[in-house]
Amino acid sequence: MRKRGLVGVVIATETFRPLVLAQAKARKLEPHLVVVKHPVGGLNAAELEDRINTAFAGLRLEMKS
Amino acid sequence: MSDTAEAEVLDIPEMDPDAWADFVEAQGWTDGLPLVPPTEDAVARMMDGARGDNEPFAAITPRLLTPTLRSLAANAVMAGCRPAYFPAVLAALRAVLVADYNLHGTLATTHSCAPMIMINGPLRHALNINCGTNCFGQGWRANAAIGRALQLILNNVGGARPGIMDRSTFGSPAKYTFCFGENEEESPFDPYHVRQGFRADESVVTVISSEPNHNLNDHGSTTGRDLLTTFAGGIAAPTANTISAKGPFFIILGPEHAATIARDKWTVPQIQQFLFDTARVPITEVSPENQERYETGGNPPENGFYKVAPTPDDIHVAVAGGPGKHSAWIPSFGGTAAISIRVKPPAAG
Amino acid sequence: MRIVNPTFGIAPQDEGSATAGPVDWLNDPMVLFSNNKPNARELLEGVRSRLASIRRIDNIDHIAKGSASQPAPPEMINDVVRKYRIALLALGD
Repeated sequence: MRKRGLVGVVIATETFRPLVLAQAKARKLEPHLVVVKHPVGGLNAAELEDRINTAFAGLRLEMKS
Repeated sequence: MSDTAEAEVLDIPEMDPDAWADFVEAQGWTDGLPLVPPTEDAVARMMDGARGDNEPFAAITPRLLTPTLRSLAANAVMAGCRPAYFPAVLAALRAVLVADYNLHGTLATTHSCAPMIMINGPLRHALNINCGTNCFGQGWRANAAIGRALQLILNNVGGARPGIMDRSTFGSPAKYTFCFGENEEESPFDPYHVRQGFRADESVVTVISSEPNHNLNDHGSTTGRDLLTTFAGGIAAPTANTISAKGPFFIILGPEHAATIARDKWTVPQIQQFLFDTARVPITEVSPENQERYETGGNPPENGFYKVAPTPDDIHVAVAGGPGKHSAWIPSFGGTAAISIRVKPPAAG
Repeated sequence: MRIVNPTFGIAPQDEGSATAGPVDWLNDPMVLFSNNKPNARELLEGVRSRLASIRRIDNIDHIAKGSASQPAPPEMINDVVRKYRIALLALGD
């Protein structure tokens, strides 16, 4: 998507961070990456709130960079 | 291991076997077991096993580098392959690179899938591939080395290193090797590859991204229908990745079970249809959250039951193994396909 | 000892660097792209609700891949590229 003019921000759990970085490197891209604590699946609404807050804070930083 | 393309030939210090084992471990080249050094001479002999094969390969995810025949041969040498095995390794690689196999998804997933390799045709005997007793197990060089070579290629050229790109929660023993031959000689049915449209005298590699074999034990049933009823119960699992018709799977009939089923006049399409109709997961065994997921995914239950395959054709039937009242279910990753590719024999001379 | 490098491969032709130009983070159309894993939608929707405090959200849409285990179909990617300037993707379990 990036090479077609779209700015992509990836929200990934820390477990998948190496995977995102390796893929980006293979494609010669600097990823906009926001890392949240693992996991996301299996959480209830209260637990998910923490991930949402982290993701939003990370996104705000990316918006300023 | 470097993530970028580098020299095709490396000049490294002479080292004894222990130092070599440490070296390959440090490089990240190994599956954990010792490797045969891929010297230039050994690699040249391996390449000769596939002489005349000039068909290019697609780039291998996730590094997205296009392999050379030489780098592939280096992995086959390291895995312990004889040169005669190399065409089967190349066919297996070509098969997992077919888009419908979904190599990237199968490598990056947390699921424990590995490439299952089934070999049909005369190559089974030429390479002494075990199709009978203990065919999923240890003891046969061809079974061990062909599957291992494919895994090493995915690790080394593809870059699917465990813990980084390979995110499997558990992995599985099948990630070392999962290669066997169909026991065509003891099968009452046409060989699998013939049913896929190949000639009986062609050698064919079939791959699917799967879990290892799950045993289907039935010592008591005496009819084909009763055996298939047992199997249907065994494969109707709410925890399989194929739940809610998400993908294909294999049923490997042991020869004794196959004989009973064939004696009762069951054809392969009838077996597929029976298992498709009968192997269903009751909605009561699925949590409300998962019910919602399957609904959203477009696979709602039918009459209170979930299907375990999209269509009867997604239930692949073959015969392998030796004496004993056992068959096997090989559940897939789900988002994958069974891909069959003809093995190219080496050019004469 | 000379050995053949088992990791060797030919890198793809350089397709050039990324072409995404500057974006207006506060106004450009955005897509929330879910991998269809459990809670991915809820995570992205939570971010969207917080975005309302700093940007317009009437041009933020949500789409999901058909299957978590398979790549998004090309037509879906084409549609996203045509309609949006920013994509927020959820990846992982």
